[in-house]
Amino acid sequence: MNLLYISLVLAAGSIPVGIKWRKTSYGMIIAGSLFIAIFTIIGQGEFTYPLAYFSLIAAIAWILISIFSISYSEHYGKWLTPLFAMTVFGMMVILESTDYVTFIVGWEIMSIPAYASIGLNKEHWNAAYVFMVFSEISTVFLIVGAILAVGETGTLDFRFQDLTSDIPLLLIALGCMTKMGITPFMISEWLPIAHGNAPANDSALFSATMTLMGVFGIVRIMLLSPPSIYLGFFLLSVGVLTVFFASLFAYVSENMKMLGGFSTIENNGSILAAIGLYIALDGSVLKTFMLVVIVIFALAHSVAKTGLFIGIGTTRKENFGEIDSRKNSYLTGGWLLVTLSLAGLFPTIGGLGAWMLLEAFFMGAYQYGLIGIASVIAGAMIALAEGLASASMMKVLSFTQVHGFPRGKMENSESYLLYGTGILLVALFVLANLLVLPQYISGLPSVLVFNGFTIQSRFSTGDFGLISPLYVLLLIMVFTTAAYILFDRRKTVPREVPRWNGGVDFNQYYTSYAYASNIRIMLKGMLRTSIGEGGRQMSVVDVFWFAMQAFASGYRKFARQFAYKVMNSSITWYMIYMILAFMLVLILAFFT
Amino acid sequence: MRYYKTTRGNGRYIGRTASFTVYSDSLDSPITVGERVTEAAPGELVFNYGPSTGGMVESARIAITTPGEIIRSIRVDPTYKMRKLKITGLALDDAFLQIERINGYHSSSYQAAFLKAAEDALLPDPNQSLDEMLVLQMELERIRSHMNVMERLCEPAGFGVPYHQAAQLREEVSRLISSIFGHRYFFGVHSASHSTVNFNTGILKQSGDIERRFSALFESLQDSKIFVNRLQNTGKIDKHWLVGPAARAAGYRYDARIDSPSLDYRKYGLTPYIEEGRDAFARFLVRGNEIYSSFAIVNSIITDGSPECAKISDMHGSGTGASRVESPQGDLFCYLSLKNDKVEKIEFCSPSTSNIIAFEQSMPGNVFTDFHFNWESFGIWISEAGVSIE
Repeated sequence: MNLLYISLVLAAGSIPVGIKWRKTSYGMIIAGSLFIAIFTIIGQGEFTYPLAYFSLIAAIAWILISIFSISYSEHYGKWLTPLFAMTVFGMMVILESTDYVTFIVGWEIMSIPAYASIGLNKEHWNAAYVFMVFSEISTVFLIVGAILAVGETGTLDFRFQDLTSDIPLLLIALGCMTKMGITPFMISEWLPIAHGNAPANDSALFSATMTLMGVFGIVRIMLLSPPSIYLGFFLLSVGVLTVFFASLFAYVSENMKMLGGFSTIENNGSILAAIGLYIALDGSVLKTFMLVVIVIFALAHSVAKTGLFIGIGTTRKENFGEIDSRKNSYLTGGWLLVTLSLAGLFPTIGGLGAWMLLEAFFMGAYQYGLIGIASVIAGAMIALAEGLASASMMKVLSFTQVHGFPRGKMENSESYLLYGTGILLVALFVLANLLVLPQYISGLPSVLVFNGFTIQSRFSTGDFGLISPLYVLLLIMVFTTAAYILFDRRKTVPREVPRWNGGVDFNQYYTSYAYASNIRIMLKGMLRTSIGEGGRQMSVVDVFWFAMQAFASGYRKFARQFAYKVMNSSITWYMIYMILAFMLVLILAFFT
Repeated sequence: MRYYKTTRGNGRYIGRTASFTVYSDSLDSPITVGERVTEAAPGELVFNYGPSTGGMVESARIAITTPGEIIRSIRVDPTYKMRKLKITGLALDDAFLQIERINGYHSSSYQAAFLKAAEDALLPDPNQSLDEMLVLQMELERIRSHMNVMERLCEPAGFGVPYHQAAQLREEVSRLISSIFGHRYFFGVHSASHSTVNFNTGILKQSGDIERRFSALFESLQDSKIFVNRLQNTGKIDKHWLVGPAARAAGYRYDARIDSPSLDYRKYGLTPYIEEGRDAFARFLVRGNEIYSSFAIVNSIITDGSPECAKISDMHGSGTGASRVESPQGDLFCYLSLKNDKVEKIEFCSPSTSNIIAFEQSMPGNVFTDFHFNWESFGIWISEAGVSIE
């Protein structure tokens, strides 16, 4: 028996337990996740590189989110915990699945409780409907993709097998991309809306791990599919556009959870771009390197995004303007490290992920031809988006920890957890060498960087670039400590003077909205910035929010009318439907 | 009052004083304007700019309501550093000393408005030679004032060389004024005893040289795309109540030199320069081109004129007068009531008050970096708006 099934049993058990014993339920999820993490590390996972690591990444995120949920979910009624547990269980099913049916069943088990938990915890159901609509769209793509994949085998064997065409991958990728919030031109801005309206622990779960399932799904089928330059370029283009637009919208977003949602899309876009390059390449050292990039970037995204939503949860608010700035040193330290990682800066795993991704596209440029040109453009766009992502994270850090008056009771356990998540991001940066394939690990003994401590990027036998995470961390620590010793003046009594404001008794604080208005103005053609009701500036982000709400409520009305007219409680009509369905199946069977 | 009637609202709107609503041809009872209040929307902040801050030569409190970068509303309070001048009860010559110091940079305009109001109140006929003197003063003052605006426009653009070139030309005009009138701000021209104008040999060559170098600078600024970009479409405004260069830059043929009888400009054949752009660039063009017409008037007076100083000591009695002259920034109105040689009531309607409102209304939709360009393009002087004359 696969020992990993123990985790499935624990997760399944935590669902009914969660109705009455909240903490026990989260404890069971943590235990189940620990099983996955430990067995993945000691090599008990069934899958080879890089699939096993998705379980490890998800398990780390589940553990952190569950610990946070113990205190956070206290005031959310009895249903939040079992729904949370069921979502986790669905994801475990996806990760353990070896066939399409189990995968899709897991997908639905994951989605339905998520839909319910968004709806149960919001005054309006619009966000939940938005979530459900896009979830079901993704499921439809997955089912069609799976049917075509099985059809290729000429049997009714639903197990994952090698594929001869790239069509199943395209359809399954579309399904997973919908779940990841990816599509250019902000058609699927559903993710920030839905994630932004969920309780913070659910937002963390959705952003950090539910979208990871999308990445997992694509990678799972990608490894079975043949190389395809067209599909590769398609995914690369979609990924790059998504990265740019998502980072732009994250920057101008005022709702913290929506900002987190856009950041998730941006990270997923980066991963998709890497996947696109992988699919476009045909057997090279760089192709294998792309797998490492995907794993490291997915790890960085999931853990840091968990930290981001934990941090947002500690504020107990949704918008930057409402923050009453709960502060303590651990919380600030945690926020700093989490935002550093999401900004793609050292010494965190996010910094390593960003470096590897950009490095991959630099190397892609040396492939020349179409791939070379595409890599240059993609790399430039991703670098631009990374800049915007850094600005977004600076906004988060500034307006949660620097601005505003400190007041309100701080839950210490939550600040410790956020700090722990931050430290984990640094630790993963240093330990990342263990997740990288051995052919990309080396050292520079001549300058005291011993073998095993350096990650080397390469697209052929020679080196391209290198980084030694531990040494980077040590250097930063040395300089930080030196600066601290030399310049720390906290021992002396600080001199405080009242704030001078041009001699007038009139003080206002800089707002997060103002922080992002430079981009609103500069890119007003793109963001469609205009003056809305009450003289307030509106950008396309707000417009989409209203449009999505209108779409969701319109869909609900349509569904109701459809039910009244078609599902009309008439046995006669139901018989007619059954006969029609039977005939349709016969026709399909005849042609296939 | 020869020039002004108290008929209801004849002519274009000029502004308000404490007792009157001033139109180009008439005075009306004062209108009350409610306080404009701007509520900050969620996410917006009210940014307090000033009272003393970089880039501004005078003190004014400016409250900017903004969602960041773009300005949604702006309020200028010129009264933060309010000056109070006590003029009522003073004899005419003593009052004159205060009047010429209300706004030293535009001392001539205030002198002209005051002297012409006094003349309107006390003398049966206007003195043509005094008019010539006042026109000479005011046109030289206009040249310097417009050059000053040009200089101030170059500064926020980071145009160091043109900025200093404009500053040098402005200084040379001041020295020219000083050599003619004995004081660079025209102080004491009409009040000091035995004061005369002094047209030195070579003064025309001097003014011609300034004009030539100004022309080169003005043309090169118009050729600079960087400079023009900063001004074009900045602070657009088109209101019928605009005055001075702001009105003429919006296509209005408003100029007290042609539509006010207070000072006789007819013999100079002046045609106001009109632009249609309505923005800071149009205001810049209007000022630049007005410098040429002012030089022409100055040269004509230096060549053929016989300007004379006012004889304030000859003005006695009681009466009421009003005048309106075209200061470099627009219409300057003065109402003066004299009783037994003493000032009984005096009120001014300054162009900067109108220009401040124009600035406030032209600013929404512009960004912070447009602020200084727009502010300077109106040539606002707080010293004439933030003053209480009693």
